[in-house]
Amino acid sequence: MANLKEWIPLMLQGCGLTVKLFFIVIVLSLPLGLILTFLYTGKSYVIRKIVGFYILIMRGTPLLLQIFFIYFGLPFVPKIGPMLTINDRFTAGCLAYVLNYAAYFAEIFRGGLLSVDKGQYEAAKVLGMTETQTTFKIILPQMIRISLPAVSNEAIILVKDTALITTIGLADLLKVTNNIVNRTTNITAFIVAGCFYLVMSYFLTLAFKHLEKRYAF
Amino acid sequence: MKMIEVKNIRKSFGDLEVLKDVSFDVEQGDVVAILGPSGSGKSTMLRSLIELEKVDRGEIKIEGETLCTNGVYAPKRKKRAILNKMGMVFQHFNLFPHMNIRDNLMCACLCSKQGTKKELEKLAEELLAKVELSDKIDAMPAQLSGGQKQRVAIARALMRKPDIMLFDEPTSALDPELTKEVLNVIKQLSREKMTMLIVTHEIGFAVEAANKIIFLDGGYVAASGTPDEVVNNSGNERIMSFLDKVM
Repeated sequence: MANLKEWIPLMLQGCGLTVKLFFIVIVLSLPLGLILTFLYTGKSYVIRKIVGFYILIMRGTPLLLQIFFIYFGLPFVPKIGPMLTINDRFTAGCLAYVLNYAAYFAEIFRGGLLSVDKGQYEAAKVLGMTETQTTFKIILPQMIRISLPAVSNEAIILVKDTALITTIGLADLLKVTNNIVNRTTNITAFIVAGCFYLVMSYFLTLAFKHLEKRYAF
Repeated sequence: MKMIEVKNIRKSFGDLEVLKDVSFDVEQGDVVAILGPSGSGKSTMLRSLIELEKVDRGEIKIEGETLCTNGVYAPKRKKRAILNKMGMVFQHFNLFPHMNIRDNLMCACLCSKQGTKKELEKLAEELLAKVELSDKIDAMPAQLSGGQKQRVAIARALMRKPDIMLFDEPTSALDPELTKEVLNVIKQLSREKMTMLIVTHEIGFAVEAANKIIFLDGGYVAASGTPDEVVNNSGNERIMSFLDKVM
């Protein structure tokens, strides 16, 4: 306990990396997921199949495997390996998370889309709205609202999934904590780290609760 | 002037032929009640007029312009112009739940640049006053009763200044008390000589407010004419047994 003052700042630094990863992934994967949803429910059969296959792969294999594949695996792809190599660990990690989470968000948004009543399309049509206007003014806002609780759930999972990035040697909260425990042979740091994750999840829950209330209908 | 001319339309859903051979005309200012047992094709017929269902055969003309002939529809731009002459009100209102009443009324008009925001806002206020809901302009749909929602839906359809209004069972989701307030609005429109087609189970209302009744049965027009002709003197067995059950 004596060294608390010494290692709390280190852990906060680790938190910084965790939070940064979280925000980058959320900001990129939500819109990507939205685009995937519209491709997945769109008119082109070929594109629907491709997106379906993509989602199958991303949801059907471990995120950890995907992280390893992108960081360690891509350089060994025959011939084009060198072109695919991502040297920066953080970039490689972000890419794996974004690709993975976009697939989950796509499925969440698709669920939201299916829940929008058919009558909404009909009402928009008889009022003379075009398909694009209907999508952006009528369907999208309702779909996002319906999807909020599931998006919130997924975002909280992401807070904890960020810990997986430890495995490619980045100094996130878990990595820093683990180092401290190894050095001090004292498990207090684990408990403190747990509290950090808990606080992050808690504030995220509050934020989503607020959004749900704000856009209630 | 003939507002709607329907000739020999047919419509199937898969193997099920819902409209087998339906023809009728609607004159300007007509209030037409469409009656018939469940599954007789009433709603499908009404929805066909505004292209929510595509008909397979026959011809539909709106104000003399051809919407479709034998499954071939007018080109996009022309079709839009034809469809814009009609407004429609649904059984389940279909208000946009994420918008307040003002935006529900104005949204489509703003999208199509029907007027400036100020003009549209004024029109919205006028129409809400007409359906006696001026105080609800800032409310959300979820805060309204069924009857209020349906009156908002009528005002929203009127925002597009249609020549023809289509009502698809406008009171079927409402209890009797709320039904009355909606029917009063429809009667008000008929006094203003709005051309209207109403699919309804309210026989009393049909007889009272409509000047023409079309009775559909099994995908055919079983009878049509004035309420008196159809309800009291048709002698058609099918209609008599239907009326016996509902009156």
